[in-house]
Amino acid sequence: MNSKWPNQNLEVIKKGAMKKMKLSISHLSKQYRRDFWGLRDFDLELTPGVIGLLGPNGAGKSTLMRMLATITKPTEGSVKWNDTDILKSPDTLRAVLGYLPQDFGIYPNLTGKEFLEYMAAIKGLDAKTARRRIEELLVVVNLVNAAKRPLGGYSGGMKQRVGIAQALLNDPQLLIVDEPTVGLDPEERVRFRNLLSDLSGERIILLSTHIVSDVEATATEIVVINKGRKIQHATPEKLLQLMEGKVWQWMIPSNDLPGLKQKHLISGVIRHDKGVQVRVVSDSAPTPEAQPDTPSLEDAYLHLVSEQGVKQ
Amino acid sequence: MNSLRILHHLARADFLERIRRYSFLIMLGLVVWIGYLSASGQFRMLVSPDKVGIVNSAWAGGIMTVTVTTTLGLVGFYIVKGSVNRDYTTGVGQIMATTPLSRPLYMLGKWLSNFAVLGLAILILLLEGIVMNLLAGTAGFNLAALAAPLVIIALPCVGLVTAVAVLFESVSWLRGGLGNVVYFFVFIVAVSASPLSSAFGKPGTPINPYMDFNGWQIIGDSIQRAATAAYPGSAGIFGFIGGTSLADPKLFPWNGVSWTADILLSRLFFLVIAAGLVMVSALFFDRFNPARLLRIKQTKTRSIAAQPAAASAAIPVSNVHLTPLAGTRTRFRFGGLFLAELKLFLKGQRWWWYVVAGGLVIAQMVTELEVTRILLIVAWVWPILILSGLGCREQRFDTRQIVFSAPHPVANQLPATWLSAFVVIAALGCGALIKFILMGETVSILGWLTGAIFIPSLALALGTMTSSSKVFEALYVAWIYMLYQKVSALDFAGLTPDSPWYLYAPLALVLLVLAWLARAWQLTAKHISK
Repeated sequence: MNSKWPNQNLEVIKKGAMKKMKLSISHLSKQYRRDFWGLRDFDLELTPGVIGLLGPNGAGKSTLMRMLATITKPTEGSVKWNDTDILKSPDTLRAVLGYLPQDFGIYPNLTGKEFLEYMAAIKGLDAKTARRRIEELLVVVNLVNAAKRPLGGYSGGMKQRVGIAQALLNDPQLLIVDEPTVGLDPEERVRFRNLLSDLSGERIILLSTHIVSDVEATATEIVVINKGRKIQHATPEKLLQLMEGKVWQWMIPSNDLPGLKQKHLISGVIRHDKGVQVRVVSDSAPTPEAQPDTPSLEDAYLHLVSEQGVKQ
Repeated sequence: MNSLRILHHLARADFLERIRRYSFLIMLGLVVWIGYLSASGQFRMLVSPDKVGIVNSAWAGGIMTVTVTTTLGLVGFYIVKGSVNRDYTTGVGQIMATTPLSRPLYMLGKWLSNFAVLGLAILILLLEGIVMNLLAGTAGFNLAALAAPLVIIALPCVGLVTAVAVLFESVSWLRGGLGNVVYFFVFIVAVSASPLSSAFGKPGTPINPYMDFNGWQIIGDSIQRAATAAYPGSAGIFGFIGGTSLADPKLFPWNGVSWTADILLSRLFFLVIAAGLVMVSALFFDRFNPARLLRIKQTKTRSIAAQPAAASAAIPVSNVHLTPLAGTRTRFRFGGLFLAELKLFLKGQRWWWYVVAGGLVIAQMVTELEVTRILLIVAWVWPILILSGLGCREQRFDTRQIVFSAPHPVANQLPATWLSAFVVIAALGCGALIKFILMGETVSILGWLTGAIFIPSLALALGTMTSSSKVFEALYVAWIYMLYQKVSALDFAGLTPDSPWYLYAPLALVLLVLAWLARAWQLTAKHISK
């Protein structure tokens, strides 16, 4: 589908804008209690592309997202959008921000379309642009048939899609999506991944999730975070490269599985009639029978997270 | 035995959840304030016209009891109500519904938790009373005399109030703001009926403790008798008032109520009534049945489909594409936001809401001037349940993260929200305005304008400051009730001859500034997510 509003100059303007589009995070920290930091000394520089933020539950992903979305004030550090400090001038970023929080509510008496109209007004879109954008977004998130029903009757997945639509209303330069595929069925999940791919390249998309396959499909860069700290920032290719020679698979009797789990990091198990085929992440071959296997991002993620756990 | 264990944990968990909330601190502040009011003599008991008891432990206990049954009798309801609703909104209720927990047990647990919260308030008040008595060096400190009225009278009173709160939460249409309004009138009627029920006030008339839920008759009758004994031939009436102290009071000794079996039984009677109300609540309670909730939603909005919204037919996955917007984006337009806020403000009202509103507007124009003024009050109460959402609906519906991450959330949204409410208030009162203009009632016109500015300002300020709709609902109903009783000082709309309406315009401005500051504070607070 080509642009409905062709504008050749727009591409030139965009390229110019993209050159300077940058989100710089420096020593960002958030302390919740005296002895508990949600995020600690976090540095990151983001340029256009899809940045997958991976980490286990409670790693600090949502804390980081909320601070970047100007919802939460950091305890220390700075965030700059194109060299503008967003802690001092949050509205500079808000004007170009699309944000889908992990938990959010809706107004149950409004229809899906009315809710998007309301959000468009709050974001400052003029009526004509808003109307066209909402029509298109309803198609994109597959809610055309439900657009005139009150949100109170929507399922969890449908509410999530309304959330995705509102985040995209102002064609954001910075799109922050926190666990966006939660509650979506497999088909909608694929649709959303495709949408992110379509949107990438012309904006910074920060995608937080603990579902590795979501990141695998879309991310151009991956940041792994655990216990409030950044533990890796690399391209998917680089991460896979780091894992070369560290993934092994072999067959073992079913009874040996509990013992193996105690000793090694198991990233996969397939049951067969003669036993189980295990997939293990380890710096060296765990047993002479183990054969090297092709690493996946999930292996890399598990390795990084467990390595940090061992270190601590 | 197992049921008792379930009950204990149900009440305990709920109690702990509440006392760890910010609102509990507010309640503690209220209790300390009640104690202060009692001790500092700002509220006092007397026998008319000028007889006052000698301050001792019994007198202090009496004042505290009357004060606490009056304040917690009303405010306590709003403090404890919301516990069942929380289980609906958090989803905990649906988990509970899958357990063998019975409805009566659940309701009983909620009542005990409610009771424990207000019971704790009374205990704190008692401790405050003890400290104050000891500090003031009250002659012959008597703990039993101080504590007895609080335990025997105030506890059953709050027991009844907390049971009513449970009952209101079990009935779907009383669970929300309408229930808050209805309770105010229930309380006013109950308080009015209590002393009047047995010709209370005439010395020598036997009291009826079974009609005396707040214990005023019991305490008042005892005090009245003590005054008559000290000053034979006098025929004063017991009163509980606020204001300045008497210049030359006649003192008399009062050593507390004689706790007869009849009185004790009557207090037990109210606890039995409370337990009965809790059991009745179990009959109305839907046990978090989403199907019943859905039916309620469906009746509220005619446009909703007969079935839960089903997923739309999928379009091919590969067709996902969004057209980039041209550079016209995000230039703030107040008009657009105002219309969106107005739509949000009015959305969800049924057809009969508009019919009544229209009827009130027409009636304001065609009736006598005095009736027009009354109808104006009624018209301005009519949207109370939507006004009470001003400033706090982002909290109520948990839309804060997405609304407040838009540009200029204070400067853009707050004025549009206020204006939408002002327009609705003005529209509901436009009949009266036309009438005032036609009759050349200049003061009434100015008063009308002040009222139309003051009401949304009050709602917005209270909503943003408390993040709750309850405070406005309770205060506004009480305010309008006083206005209906022609209390001039509270007349913000110039409806009574001595109305200080002109003071309410600057007050509205102050409220708007407070709303602005409260919202700005929310945005700079540590975090505004759940």
